[in-house]
Amino acid sequence: MAEPITLDVREELRRGGEPLPRILQAVASLAPGQALRLLVTFEPLPLYAVLGRKGFAHQAHRRGEGDWEVLFSSEPQPAPQAPAPSTAAEPGAAGWPAPRTFLDNRGLEPPEPMIRILDALEHLAPGEVLEALNERDPVFLYPELKARGAAIRTEVRAEGVRLLIRHAG
Amino acid sequence: MVTLANRVSRWTLPAFALALVNFLLAEALILAGLTWPARSVSAPGTLAAVHLLVIGWLLLLMLGALFQFVPVITARALASQRLALLTLLAIEAGLAAMVGGFLAIGRHPALALALPAGGTAVLLGVLLAIFNLGVPLFGARPLALPGRMVLSGLAFLLVTVALGLSFALAFTVPPLAPYLAVLLYAVGDHALAGLGGWFTLTAMGVSYKLLPMFMLAPEERGVAGECVHVLGAGGFALAVGAGLARVWVAAEALRVAQDSGYMAIAIAVMIYLWDIVRIYRTRKRALIEAHNRAAAGAFGFLGLAAALAIGFAATHRLGAGAPLIIFLVVFGWLGGLGLTQLYKIIPFLTWLTRYGSNLGRGAVPRVQDLVRERRSYPWFALYFLGVLLGAACVLAGHAGGLRPSLALVTLATVGLLIEYWRAWRGHYAHGRRDASAPPSFVSNQRG
Repeated sequence: MAEPITLDVREELRRGGEPLPRILQAVASLAPGQALRLLVTFEPLPLYAVLGRKGFAHQAHRRGEGDWEVLFSSEPQPAPQAPAPSTAAEPGAAGWPAPRTFLDNRGLEPPEPMIRILDALEHLAPGEVLEALNERDPVFLYPELKARGAAIRTEVRAEGVRLLIRHAG
Repeated sequence: MVTLANRVSRWTLPAFALALVNFLLAEALILAGLTWPARSVSAPGTLAAVHLLVIGWLLLLMLGALFQFVPVITARALASQRLALLTLLAIEAGLAAMVGGFLAIGRHPALALALPAGGTAVLLGVLLAIFNLGVPLFGARPLALPGRMVLSGLAFLLVTVALGLSFALAFTVPPLAPYLAVLLYAVGDHALAGLGGWFTLTAMGVSYKLLPMFMLAPEERGVAGECVHVLGAGGFALAVGAGLARVWVAAEALRVAQDSGYMAIAIAVMIYLWDIVRIYRTRKRALIEAHNRAAAGAFGFLGLAAALAIGFAATHRLGAGAPLIIFLVVFGWLGGLGLTQLYKIIPFLTWLTRYGSNLGRGAVPRVQDLVRERRSYPWFALYFLGVLLGAACVLAGHAGGLRPSLALVTLATVGLLIEYWRAWRGHYAHGRRDASAPPSFVSNQRG
């Protein structure tokens, strides 16, 4: 397998720049199975969500004050920060199909996690399941899911609140 | 059908609106020169303005917030939405009678009965609110720290209102006066139970949930949070309890107990402020929104009030310094925290009510699109500047400077009111970004 590409955007961030285009460009240039090693000044929580949707798992490592190394790889990795998409065999998911979508909503302020979940729910077919990892129990989401006939299973974990949501039907 | 709107307490926004109107009325009384410092601390106008501030503004604000907040922290509904409306009506009607009763003192003896009648209505409203909030709170035991602090606060609310009502009866029902008049020595304990035990403890509890929620900081406050609660609630109970007992019993031990209570309160406030700094420092969100930036002013005034109280107590001038401390707590700490947090709560509830059921079904503005934060900063700055100037004038012995300073405070209140109104009306929301746009990478950057 190819060595990871390293991208250091710390200088740009300290200057107040927006390195997202460069990061997405680097991601697009990765060979299949190749990983991206990103050097940043803070833990890039929103980026996890953006690249998570492209099928990238992440492993973050804090190297010092204002110095983070994050490895993005296209194969899901069993790291504490990156829970692998669950399987139907996991507790709480009995009888439900494996999740089709995974949303990492950590690092997003309320009500952003709810907006993303309801957005993603609209793109699921009846009976399909989405998995989300939130900072907190989304109290305002429950009545809205109920109104849409969707079912939810909640589990509090060390890294956040894990939600399995099944589209009505 | 269950919708998000059902999750929003129906009477919370009306309570806020009523509270803000009462706040403006109180400011008008002060500007008109009917209160301290133009008149004496115990002048009828002062008493009317103080109760417009603490019952009309702060109590309705806090109860409106709790009607929304308690169901969120307990995941249980209020006992009844209709009771929430009754609470608002009873308190506002009772307050109107009380204000009339205060202004009638010494002029129209017959009207003075409005005072205990109004006080009874307020007590009734408070009892309904305690029942309404108590049902979900008791049902959700064991409670996390914010819920326990709210429960402690509600106990002090009951003590405060009961004391207030006995003052009113002592004033206006002569046969009761021999039994109750002695309680008038405990006016300071009435204020301490209300502003401290009820408002401050409850505001601390609510802030322990709200601040981490919007800044993405750890909610667990650990030993520090427990100390704030135990020392705070214990300190207020000891100070108020010993203060009340001293009305009848002149024992040295009671004075020591009262002083120990004051000391516990001071320590609790210091730990709390240190813990709040910790919340700001450990937040995961880089951006601090306007309401929490401006809230730093309120926390600063809590620290200033505590520092001055310690200074006055050390030099045995606590009685003389009390009006200034009360001014700082009411306008700087509680009023400041209220105004700043409303700048988030009003858009948030408006957004949930108006757009909740459309989520995922087309473009929806973000909560932040309902406000223009830049426009709020001058008003928050003016508000806290006015409070600071007023306090400086009183401290320097130029109490006359308080009124011009309060003109700035009033102007800022009106400015903020217009911003709340615009958020609620969706004034800024048109033509903003599509809700499905990806989050900005940089928006979560620290510093």
